[in-house]
Amino acid sequence: MYSVEVKNLTKKYKNKTAVDSISFTVKSRELFALLGVNGAGKTTTIRMLSCLSAPTDGFAAVNGHNCIKNSDDVKKEISISPQETSVAENLTVRENLRFIAEVYGFSKEKIKLRTDKMINLFNMHDIADSRAKTLSGGWKRKLSIAMALISEPKVLFLDEPTLGLDVLARRELWTAIESLKGKITIILTTHYMEEAEKLSDTIAVMVGGKIAAMGTLAELEKISGQTGLENAFVAIAERSADK
Amino acid sequence: MNRISAFAKRNFKELLRDPLSYIFCLGFPIIMLIVMTLVNESIPAEAGMTIFRIDNLAGGIAVFGQTFTMLFTALTISKDRSGAFLVRMYASPMKSGDFIAGYIFPMMLISIIQCVVTYTAGLVIALITGVELNIGGLLLSLICLVPSSVMFIGLGLLFGTLFNEKAAPGFCSLVISLGSFLGGIWFDAESTGGVMLKICKVLPFWYCTKTARSSTALKFGNDEFVIPLVITAVCAAAVTVIASLAFRSKMKADLS
Repeated sequence: MYSVEVKNLTKKYKNKTAVDSISFTVKSRELFALLGVNGAGKTTTIRMLSCLSAPTDGFAAVNGHNCIKNSDDVKKEISISPQETSVAENLTVRENLRFIAEVYGFSKEKIKLRTDKMINLFNMHDIADSRAKTLSGGWKRKLSIAMALISEPKVLFLDEPTLGLDVLARRELWTAIESLKGKITIILTTHYMEEAEKLSDTIAVMVGGKIAAMGTLAELEKISGQTGLENAFVAIAERSADK
Repeated sequence: MNRISAFAKRNFKELLRDPLSYIFCLGFPIIMLIVMTLVNESIPAEAGMTIFRIDNLAGGIAVFGQTFTMLFTALTISKDRSGAFLVRMYASPMKSGDFIAGYIFPMMLISIIQCVVTYTAGLVIALITGVELNIGGLLLSLICLVPSSVMFIGLGLLFGTLFNEKAAPGFCSLVISLGSFLGGIWFDAESTGGVMLKICKVLPFWYCTKTARSSTALKFGNDEFVIPLVITAVCAAAVTVIASLAFRSKMKADLS
């Protein structure tokens, strides 16, 4: 069974088609990247998959649950780390983590266990009792991903996880994301070629709301006749724009 | 219930850690209590003006303090909506009812703490100025002020839902100014009479103040206590229902 199934998924806003009849599947425990420039429709796609936006047309399912008809079931199995800061600023790192675990109804013992596990996983010992508003951008992103992971989701959506971070913070976050590979299904949106290349099992290139090409890096290079993801992406995007 | 309790706890902590909450929710009402007592001391006894005497003032200031819970509810909600925090929560199993209850309960607790602090300061002032203030009346008033507390929090929920974090405080300030004035906290509406009294009686704020003053004075007549309390409770229920529907509708629109 696929973790995510999408068929002819479409999202229209008045005069604009943000996502135009896209179809793809994501295998269980795969890291799937939606790669595209700003406005390509990546965020809209994961908003529809995480029940934050209703599709205009098409079908989307997460772990067999229909995203439109069974959104409550979908929400139990997913987590999202949004593009912008999405932490409770006046709560400490530990309190933010506990808060999410409580929302998901975990027992006291499990809340403590999961909180400690997230603090260990993201190496947040030194900042565990610092308020979120005092953290750097990199630490806030790590906390945001830890908050998404604490609920033990089967599918994790990461929307531009390293956007605006410096090189060191970005590399640290990549290491953290890499450590999750093979454990849960991850769908990541990015416009950084290096990020998609380094982390993904499968890459879907989105251009103007459509999936222009999809496959492993080697497959994309073959499709485009270019070497390296950046060259392949440019060739695919230009070919798609010419159509 | 887990979800409501977790969200209410988060909102309570966020409020407790914001220094502005202490300044506006606790400091400002106490300062007004002291300032107005000093004004009262300056008014000659022959003027027969008792509006600022502590037995009248305490209830009025308690209602005035409650208006700030409206401001903080609106600020909390509009801030949550402007960032991505609610986006994350919308993708969790939280329902609209969990959000609404999670916003209302901690503010009610703040409102009760605020009334306790105001009445305690009032008791100290009463002891200093030699005015009799009934402790039983003050305790009863804490319960009678629940409907007005719900009403102001409901208004905060409504403004926080409908407006952004820049516009919501503006609307709240308008209600705080008009509400405290037309609620008869700063002037004796009944002695003034005429059009002013008619305007005061059209709005719910006057009934909130009347309920607070009557309960602290242990006056339970229909006109001075029962009717104002019922009107306040009906307004509180109506505002809360309207605000809840607005929040649900906005949440649905955000998710469409």
